[in-house]
Amino acid sequence: MAILELKQVCKSYETHLAVDNLSFAIEQGSVFGLLGPNGAGKTSSIRMMIGITVPDTGEVDMFGAPFHRGMLQMVGYLPEERGLYKKMKVLEMLVFLAQLKGLDSTTATKRATEWMQRLDLGDWLKNKIEELSKGMQQKVQFIAAVLHDPEFLILDEPFSGLDPSSSLALKDALLELKKQGKTILFSTHRMDTVERLCDTICLINHGRNVLSGDLKEIKASYGRSAVQLEYEGEMPFLSDRSLVQSYNNFGNYVELKPAPGRDPQELLNIALKTARVMRFEVVEPSLEEIFIDIVDPAKAVNHA
Amino acid sequence: MRNTWLIMKREYLARVRTRGFILFTVLMPAFMAAVVLLPGKLMMRSTGPKHIVIVSSNAAVADVLKHELETAPAKLQEKDEEEPGGRNQELDRIEATIEPNVTESTDKDLAAQVESGKVDGYLWLSDKAIESRKVAFTAKNSGDFMLAAVIRSALRAAFTQSELAKKGIGPGEASRILAPVSVESVTLKQGKKSKGNEFTAIVLPFLLMMMIYVVLIVYGTAVMRAVLEEKTTRVVEVLLSSVSPTQLLTGKLLGVGAAGFTQILIWSASGAILGTPYGMALRSTLHVEVPFGALALFPVFFVFGFLIYSTMYAALGAMVNSDEEAQQLQWPVLMPIIFCTVFSMAVVRDPNSQLAFWLSIFPLTSPLIMFVRTCVEMPPWWQLALCFVLLIAAIWGLLEVCGRIYRIGILMYGKRPTLPEILKWIKYA
Repeated sequence: MAILELKQVCKSYETHLAVDNLSFAIEQGSVFGLLGPNGAGKTSSIRMMIGITVPDTGEVDMFGAPFHRGMLQMVGYLPEERGLYKKMKVLEMLVFLAQLKGLDSTTATKRATEWMQRLDLGDWLKNKIEELSKGMQQKVQFIAAVLHDPEFLILDEPFSGLDPSSSLALKDALLELKKQGKTILFSTHRMDTVERLCDTICLINHGRNVLSGDLKEIKASYGRSAVQLEYEGEMPFLSDRSLVQSYNNFGNYVELKPAPGRDPQELLNIALKTARVMRFEVVEPSLEEIFIDIVDPAKAVNHA
Repeated sequence: MRNTWLIMKREYLARVRTRGFILFTVLMPAFMAAVVLLPGKLMMRSTGPKHIVIVSSNAAVADVLKHELETAPAKLQEKDEEEPGGRNQELDRIEATIEPNVTESTDKDLAAQVESGKVDGYLWLSDKAIESRKVAFTAKNSGDFMLAAVIRSALRAAFTQSELAKKGIGPGEASRILAPVSVESVTLKQGKKSKGNEFTAIVLPFLLMMMIYVVLIVYGTAVMRAVLEEKTTRVVEVLLSSVSPTQLLTGKLLGVGAAGFTQILIWSASGAILGTPYGMALRSTLHVEVPFGALALFPVFFVFGFLIYSTMYAALGAMVNSDEEAQQLQWPVLMPIIFCTVFSMAVVRDPNSQLAFWLSIFPLTSPLIMFVRTCVEMPPWWQLALCFVLLIAAIWGLLEVCGRIYRIGILMYGKRPTLPEILKWIKYA
């Protein structure tokens, strides 16, 4: 069963079209990645899923029926723009938000305490929000999203601003929720961070669905067509369109896609003329490459 | 319903628990009590009689002046009791002595005595001074306007009596001619006569109206800030994933309003405890009516005024992105309230005028102006009914319009919306 389905949803603001005829479905128990660059329409789409805004046209179905506000008790939401009442105590804040989701205060207090301990925040229950660091506040916000044990969890950029160990703790918590059969929607512009977590994805750009489906299938369909090179020296041939269709250069590491009909071995030979090659591998393209390839095939990204 | 209740409860507790609220709530009555009680207490500690020397060779004038000066404080006190709430300061007793020697050496001598504090001041009444009616009063502290007023009226009486004496009218007859006239204002209320006075007719309604005025602005601004805070800290996004904007707005208004109401209740209770003995005393001794009926309407008008203005303030908070922007946009909301205070005096003076009628039924001004009118004189019941019906209709309409602005505004960051944009928000259902 689809937990959530968008059907030809459109939304425009004063001057621009934020979401343009967007359709996709999220299956129960899956981890779904809503991906796209900044300003692609991710947050606008999410707001329509949970009724903060209403689509101009199109429909939103949730749990197999047209959306209504009562469903929100089964949905958890971590917004991209984090916000908590600065002067409120952490525990009170969590209990308040859980009560709004229909929990009674005893259960809410018990669960909040458990979650806080689990994410290493056990000592901070009685502190005011403003006394917490940004990262801690973010963990508190995450707890607020999962406290009422939602069936469907929407996380907008959940890892931004977290240190590695907090990210790990969060990832573990998410994997456990997935094991329990919860459905999770990830929204992010950092495609590398979700590549390992998501089952299905939807890539959007300018409010349009540019690529969607099972992540493994998508990658397989691109085949082993990408080249990764670690090198020292110069690679002037990269900008030669007859050899390289697109590339992503990090200075001493480059990912590239050969122009149609070019053999990767041929490129290796050319590269060896101007640089020392430490590693050469033909791989499946990364999501980021696939995205660049679809959105703007002629575009080259040079980080160097 | 549950969500609205939860939002309201959180808002109320968050406000009532702050140190600022507790201090303001407790300090305000304490401050009022201090204002009412302290000056009286301070004035009580009398410094003993004031010693004034009258330098004059004209014995007739000097004698009358001495009499007038020494009896003046007692007369003033009598007048005070007739006019409660007027001056409640006490004037020190005056002792006057006459110095018939109008020479320069007396001047020097007395100046030295004033300097040393033996004498509080002296009046120079040379024949020339009497002729020209210009008298010098020399004292260390010449800024005591109460004393100056007493001296002035005593001098006038003395000069007039001596003039009358010249025309052959004796002192007894003269003082009868000069006796003050008193006017007693009687208010006719439902066939019963009661003594009114300036205080209950003007000062009390005006004070109470100013209180509504201050509280409306304070709590209206509080609502605006609360909305703005939720918007800038982006808490609103989390809240809106659980509650509808209408529930959020309603809960917010009720929460802030309940906090304000709590404050007013505490103030009113302490005011009643402090003020009732005073009010009762006025009533029993002087048969002055304190408008208790109108006072009971105070909370009602506060609630209506709060709902009207805080709804507008909420929309304002949702439109802007910072406190500064809010300050700039506040004036359309503030205008009607300020308008009320400007016209309130005219309404007090003539509570049945056309102006008073229209201002007291127009919903943006009626919470203040109708309240003032009920203090002065209970208006006909149909006017009160009309006022309340219009208020309820206006609140309903404002909630609808401002709710729309609020719903869209709280999610709009960045640039301040223009008027056409806001109109589009209102049209957008």
